[in-house]
Amino acid sequence: MGTIREVKSGKKSLKKDYVAIMMWFMGRAIQAAASVDRDVRKEFAELPDRFTFDLCVMPDGPHMIVGKDRKGYVRYMGWDTEGKRTNLRIKIKNLEAAILMFTFQESTALATARNRLVVDGEVPHACAAVRILDIVEVYLLPKIIAKLAVKRYPLWSPGRKYIGRVFVYLRTVLGL
Amino acid sequence: MFSPDRYEFFCPVKTNSGSRALEHLPFELDTMNATKPFVITSQKDARRGLVDVIIDAFKDSGVTIGIFDGAPAAPGMKLIKELFTMYRDGGYDSLIAVGGGAVVDTAKILNIAVSGAPEDIERYAGSDLITKPLKPLVLVPTLSGTGYESSRYACIDTLSFSSCFLMPHLVVIDPRMIVFEDVETTAAASLVTLTHAVEVYTGPEKNPLSDSYAYAAIRFVMENLVSVIRDPRDGKGRLALVNAHNAAGCAFSNSTPGMAHRLGKAVGDACQLSWGLCMGILLPHILERQTSEDGYHIPGLLLPLAGFDVYAETPEHMKVQKAIGILYDFQRDLFEASRGAIVRSLKDAEVPEEMLRDIARKAAGRSSTGFDADVSLMVLEQAWKGK
Amino acid sequence: MNLPGYYEFCCRVKIIAGHDALEKIPDALAYLRARTPMIVSDKGVAGAGLIDIVTSAIKDGVTIGAVADDVPPDSDLQVVHRLARLYREKRCDSLIAVGGGSVMDTAKGVNILISENADDLMKFSGANALKRALKPLIAIPTTAGTGSEVTLVAVVKDHERHLKMAFVSYFLLPDVSVLDSRMTLSLPPAITAATGMDALAHAVEAYTCLAKNPLSDAHALAAINLIGENLVRVTRDPGDKNGRLAMANAATLAGIAFSNSMVGMVHTLGHSAGSVCGVPHGVCMAILLPYGLEYNMHKNGHLTAELLFPLGGAQVYAATPEGERADKVIALVRRINEDLHEASGGRHPRFFREVVDREGKQMVPREKLPEIAKTALSDGSLFYNPEDLDYDDFLMVMETSWEGEPLERRKIKKG
Repeated sequence: MGTIREVKSGKKSLKKDYVAIMMWFMGRAIQAAASVDRDVRKEFAELPDRFTFDLCVMPDGPHMIVGKDRKGYVRYMGWDTEGKRTNLRIKIKNLEAAILMFTFQESTALATARNRLVVDGEVPHACAAVRILDIVEVYLLPKIIAKLAVKRYPLWSPGRKYIGRVFVYLRTVLGL
Repeated sequence: MFSPDRYEFFCPVKTNSGSRALEHLPFELDTMNATKPFVITSQKDARRGLVDVIIDAFKDSGVTIGIFDGAPAAPGMKLIKELFTMYRDGGYDSLIAVGGGAVVDTAKILNIAVSGAPEDIERYAGSDLITKPLKPLVLVPTLSGTGYESSRYACIDTLSFSSCFLMPHLVVIDPRMIVFEDVETTAAASLVTLTHAVEVYTGPEKNPLSDSYAYAAIRFVMENLVSVIRDPRDGKGRLALVNAHNAAGCAFSNSTPGMAHRLGKAVGDACQLSWGLCMGILLPHILERQTSEDGYHIPGLLLPLAGFDVYAETPEHMKVQKAIGILYDFQRDLFEASRGAIVRSLKDAEVPEEMLRDIARKAAGRSSTGFDADVSLMVLEQAWKGK
Repeated sequence: MNLPGYYEFCCRVKIIAGHDALEKIPDALAYLRARTPMIVSDKGVAGAGLIDIVTSAIKDGVTIGAVADDVPPDSDLQVVHRLARLYREKRCDSLIAVGGGSVMDTAKGVNILISENADDLMKFSGANALKRALKPLIAIPTTAGTGSEVTLVAVVKDHERHLKMAFVSYFLLPDVSVLDSRMTLSLPPAITAATGMDALAHAVEAYTCLAKNPLSDAHALAAINLIGENLVRVTRDPGDKNGRLAMANAATLAGIAFSNSMVGMVHTLGHSAGSVCGVPHGVCMAILLPYGLEYNMHKNGHLTAELLFPLGGAQVYAATPEGERADKVIALVRRINEDLHEASGGRHPRFFREVVDREGKQMVPREKLPEIAKTALSDGSLFYNPEDLDYDDFLMVMETSWEGEPLERRKIKKG
């Protein structure tokens, strides 16, 4: 007769840190792209005032909070949800699913099809958020990887593709 | 397409299958209002590291789990009562059965106890005596099952149970758990699956709902069993087979067991052979005897057995012959792939010819439907000789 | 058989089907420990005498607590609240929904309120807000159909605040769905055609979009086969009982398929055309289905080709070379629309330009197409479509489907 043992849920520190870092980068890149790219600007313009969205991993983080401030500027608002009101939460069901997304083994579309995500908020806002994420991924990633992350790799002018990318990277790194 | 005049169908099972399926468990348990699951598995599966995979899957979830890894091959009521005490004392609220066969039976029957009281177990033994849903039960199948894991059936000691409420609420098919056991076990479960699915698809209770599950099960077995036997490293094939077992269990739970099931079981019990092996031998012989006049639908079987192209190219009057021929060919391919381990006749399975009459009589006597004793004997004799 | 990297499938609804399935409801309710149901329905269903058929079939086995037959064509929050009050007043213990999508959604909404003993439906909106089983709900569809008798979604509109609330939970699924041929025998040809094409679109999109899985595929194939064999026939011959039952089965099978595998651009644009111009959902599906298949051809043409077998039948499949099968499926869908147009006396439209309302007025003026294209960008079904669509792509498809011309494949931007 065997015995029963209780196992408390352990930690996956390395994986969690990796996702946290990728999210930090992504958040700042969204802020950068909002000043550089007209499509990202347009998407945010059509969202309500002070609109904020949180891309996060269940059950408790990491989080990436991005939104429009009082003046309408798009800002990366960090990973702390304390005191922050969000209109939209895109929740990744577990850390492994987040790893699959942030190592580009599953694109956003595939992750959706594979039930890895839960959307808390209005669907039209979620559609806009995913379009923004897609554009930012095209800026950040080399084509060969971006093609795995987005459904249709866009045909951009060389100016947008190369010069835009430089500006997005610069602003992301400098936090502008 | 055949459309019946009336039918009923119910399948409470949710199926999650594929990469990182286990990691969805904390979320799924939460939707079932469960916060502290009790995991039951066998020592063998624990030694193989399967429990470590489960523990890993719960990391970062905040969920505490209890693990019992001593489920024996032949559990009894004594064990169930001990597990009941552990479950209650530990404050658990759901069950996760990892493995197949006896482990799953144990979990299903334990679920009756923890959803009420241990005394309920004897009260609910039999058919359709449970009247409301039990506590959440998750099944994590491996390749060491019998093919009955997702079904409404369970047994312990001398008691047998049949109820849709015994079926798992959630089946999590994760490739990391689908480790190859051995040729006989894999083949037996898959042949049980094939037999059940074929009998649902061709039997008098045929309906579009059960057909959908049966269709998937038949396709997966036909497309993957031989290649997995030949090369157990075929991970995608193994995943497909467990998907088949699950689908067939769901379909089978909605219809009356057919002749291949009954005779296969009877031969297996009488001669200590696996039910799957016997059912696999008997199936084509039985189909040869079933006609549309008796309410069977054999021509359509060619579709899931062989796919669109072969079905479309085969003239209507040739479909039955072609379908049964494919099953005999399948027997031959399995025999070759397994280097003779999966035999094709009851004689090669070492069933004594003298026992056939008795087996036929007993199997036919149990029910008023299906073959009578004489036809059963004819089928057994043909299956004894083999094709 | 296709086996994706990961999938989920569930259909926990008990299905009871037949020419006299309604008579089984008292037993089904007793099994669920209920005997005082409230019937929820609408004036159209009542007018067709269907509620009377239901009550005759069940009155000896249950006590009908209340009958609410005034659900509007669009599920409305005020109505949900009112019906919940009625349920409590009459001390009912279960619900029977008799009708189409709006009745089902309303009943599901009422079930949330009465089961959770709540007054504010909004609190439960979104996904997985419900934590336990609701009161027994029996669904009796009267079209074939929306499939909402087997979906885990309910949509309720708050017309006062111009909000659309969506509820997603496995607990919303009806306990039992009863498919009885009597419920669709009197369905007029135009509605038979439109709701039948709705079912076809569900099954086809479930089979060809990104979340496809083996179990939903099997359900979809069966649905498509039944629709291919029965839809035009029952539109021409409404009294065909067996055909009606076959279509009821098909709609449920298609509902199970898309409930698990989602839908794609046909629904994305269809929802938009419906919300901007009020075009009935089934009509949108019928018109847009061939365009969805054409647009996605470079991504899922091989899947479309497989559908020739269930839709066209074994002989057509065998006679068509592999490379031509996908195009043949698209041609078949257009042919079915033509046949339905004829069988319905011209009332089933084949393209958006000819969609008219009851007074004969055009429902989709060309000037509205940009608005439809823009609205489509906000629909979640887009996630599951194999190819991406931006505003220009949506507009192109709408313009072409307005005229009724085939899509020019070279204009499709391929990803």
